Amino acid sequence: MASAGSDRRGESADVLIIGAGASGSLAAKHLSENGFKVVCLDQGPWVDNKEFAGARPEWELMAQKRWHPNPNVRDLENDYPVDTSESDVNPLMYNAVGGSTILWAAHWQRFMPSDFRVKTLDGVADDWPFTYEELEPFYEQAEEEIGVSGLAGDPAFPPGKPLPLPPLPIGKIGMKAAEGMNKLGWHWWPGPNAIPSKSYRGRNACVRRGTCLTGCPEGAKASMDLVYWPASLKNGVKLITGARVKEVLVNDRGLATGAVYIDRQGRERTQKAGIVIVCANGIGTPRLLLLSTSKRFPNGLANSSGLVGKRLMMHPYAAVTGVFEEPLESWLGPAGQTIQSMQFYETDKSRGFVRGAKWQVMPSGGPLGMRAAYGGRPLEEAWGANLHRNTKRVFGHAFEWGIIAEDLPEESNRVVLDPKLTDSDGIPAPKLIYKNSENTKKLIDFHLARAQEAMKAAGAVSMTITPLMRDCGWHLMGTARMGEDPASSVIDQWGKAHDVPNLFIYDGSTFVTSSGFNPTGTICAVALRCVKHLIANRRDQEIAA
Amino acid sequence: MSTGLNDDDRKTFAGIADVLIPAAEGMPAASEIGIQGEILDKVLGFRPDLRENLLRGLRAVKGKAAREAAEFLNKTDGTAFGAISLAASAGYYMDPKVRKLIGYPGQENRPYNADETPEYVRNGMLKVVSDRGPIYKPTPK
Ligand SMILES: Cc1cc2nc3c(=O)[nH]c(=O)nc-3n(C[C@H](O)[C@H](O)[C@H](O)COP(=O)(O)OP(=O)(O)OC[C@H]3O[C@@H](n4cnc5c(N)ncnc54)[C@H](O)[C@@H]3O)c2cc1C
Ligand code: SF4
Repeated sequence: MASAGSDRRGESADVLIIGAGASGSLAAKHLSENGFKVVCLDQGPWVDNKEFAGARPEWELMAQKRWHPNPNVRDLENDYPVDTSESDVNPLMYNAVGGSTILWAAHWQRFMPSDFRVKTLDGVADDWPFTYEELEPFYEQAEEEIGVSGLAGDPAFPPGKPLPLPPLPIGKIGMKAAEGMNKLGWHWWPGPNAIPSKSYRGRNACVRRGTCLTGCPEGAKASMDLVYWPASLKNGVKLITGARVKEVLVNDRGLATGAVYIDRQGRERTQKAGIVIVCANGIGTPRLLLLSTSKRFPNGLANSSGLVGKRLMMHPYAAVTGVFEEPLESWLGPAGQTIQSMQFYETDKSRGFVRGAKWQVMPSGGPLGMRAAYGGRPLEEAWGANLHRNTKRVFGHAFEWGIIAEDLPEESNRVVLDPKLTDSDGIPAPKLIYKNSENTKKLIDFHLARAQEAMKAAGAVSMTITPLMRDCGWHLMGTARMGEDPASSVIDQWGKAHDVPNLFIYDGSTFVTSSGFNPTGTICAVALRCVKHLIANRRDQEIAA
Repeated sequence: MSTGLNDDDRKTFAGIADVLIPAAEGMPAASEIGIQGEILDKVLGFRPDLRENLLRGLRAVKGKAAREAAEFLNKTDGTAFGAISLAASAGYYMDPKVRKLIGYPGQENRPYNADETPEYVRNGMLKVVSDRGPIYKPTPK
């Protein structure tokens, strides 16, 4: 094992990981503790907790630019632009050590058994190559490693091992929402979050600052730079930041041999490796595979099925915000979810659509956020004396029932390379082509109607409905799907590319269907299952010499 | 760093800010808390990207009466209006006096005891949910 910080430029690694986000960080930790010599490349930098504005007065102002989740708004050098002119939804992500978990809300969800069997149960999409039961031990291990807080016994899921930490407070907003759900006899449960309610493995306990979505200044939330990287660096992983990969290389035998990247001085460098694992997320991964063309792979690497980039799923998000008479301190965190509901999660064909959605209650932030969407309307509506009246009425008195809709995989929804747009290194940027289907539209309408009933039952005096939020592509899935058949999938159930025996993909691109749940718990469990299989089968693994 | 705003710009800004955020409902007007001075500098320090649109807007309406200026920008230059109104409202709500008046302590650190049995468990609210039994579809055989 090499020592931490040694310079392996020119030296070949056992494994090259591209992307230090959720999946890449987890993989680096496990491979390195099993003696693999690992190099990880990420285009972004390290982010220091002190940079987050959460504990400072300018928090909301900074949230609208520097810490915005849409890379096109943030427009930092470590981001790449995304053409969204043909997409109903903007993709959200962060590019740094820790990847999108720097900004994630840390809602920790397992998928349900039915999510892995959509074709069998509903006659649409496809089944996954494994079941909930096969993934369960990996969920448990990931929950332990990452530090998830929550309460056991949720009847929406099969019984299982309790989470390692007690639940976070649900606050007045969670209680209010729960009262409404009880009146209707609908399901609710305190939401599990990858946020420690007590200090955990070097991370501080959450202090409920409620700024999780712009980075946690307390070092509490499970962002993977804090969860996995300290141990990985000790294990000798070489993490190269500011390294933007432009191509995965292959040899004459069709094996991956490493990658070419551009460093922050604009120099092109090559990192060689025996095995390559791509963890660049549901948009970065297909982009990179499509960029990696060669004589042998003229349509992009691992793309003999033609499916790389296709079947993009992004979880359209809708919401109902309710305003209440009584003060609810609704700026308090975590944000993070307080309670969730799976009342309408499973398919009921009498509703006129298949599949469903998860609901969650979230706090509604500070006084400025409320003003964000007012431009262009008559002045007096949002400003003048009305501003003060609205602020007094709504601020601290409102919360949101958010609806995460399951979108089904469709080949027409896809990531392609943009013919003109490039990143700051001149590498072609991705373009999204993504439209909501009829099933999704009906699903959202139904759920919005039910969420209004839930708000009413809780005692809301007024409501605002957001039918589809454009900035809602938090969850990027499906663009390099897994499956048994090389003709209809990109990788097998262990993350191995059908076309390239030493190329692996571990991120959300591998998802067969999207479920209606926040996906990162499943991204982590699947990556863990894949990496443990790779470690166990290392002797049989073909590698580039 | 200088923000490049002259006295006229600040005056125009204060006028528009007061149209957007007047003295009403027990709240002070934006100019009463000095929105056009240090507060504006601070906002532009945090958000230098706003400066160009804000300046363009202010200079386009120089000399117009404040209400007319605000209406004009809202109708004709949404980006400039957005920058001016964001600078005004962000500066306003960052101010400690204003925060006190609306009862906002900021994104505070709020202690809690994670080992305490939550109220919804103590009072049986959650039990009615578990008592209804499982609601998931098991893996088909
Ligand atoms: C605001 C926000 C809120 C979210 N909330 C939740 C939530 O509550 N619950 C949940 O489950 N999920 C949530 N998510 C989603 C979650 O963050 C992602 O699912 C998860 O991080 C994906 O992991 P990943 O490994 O696939 O990719 P990422 O974590 O996105 O990491 C990909 C990494 O690859 C790097 N990379 C990409 N291309 C290249 C290249 N060419 N060269 C070098 N490096 C490259 C990037 O810089 C990045 O660091 C949220 C996301 C956002 C943005
Ligand atoms: S609520 Fe908790 S996790 Fe979220 S930012 Fe605050 S301390 Fe961090």
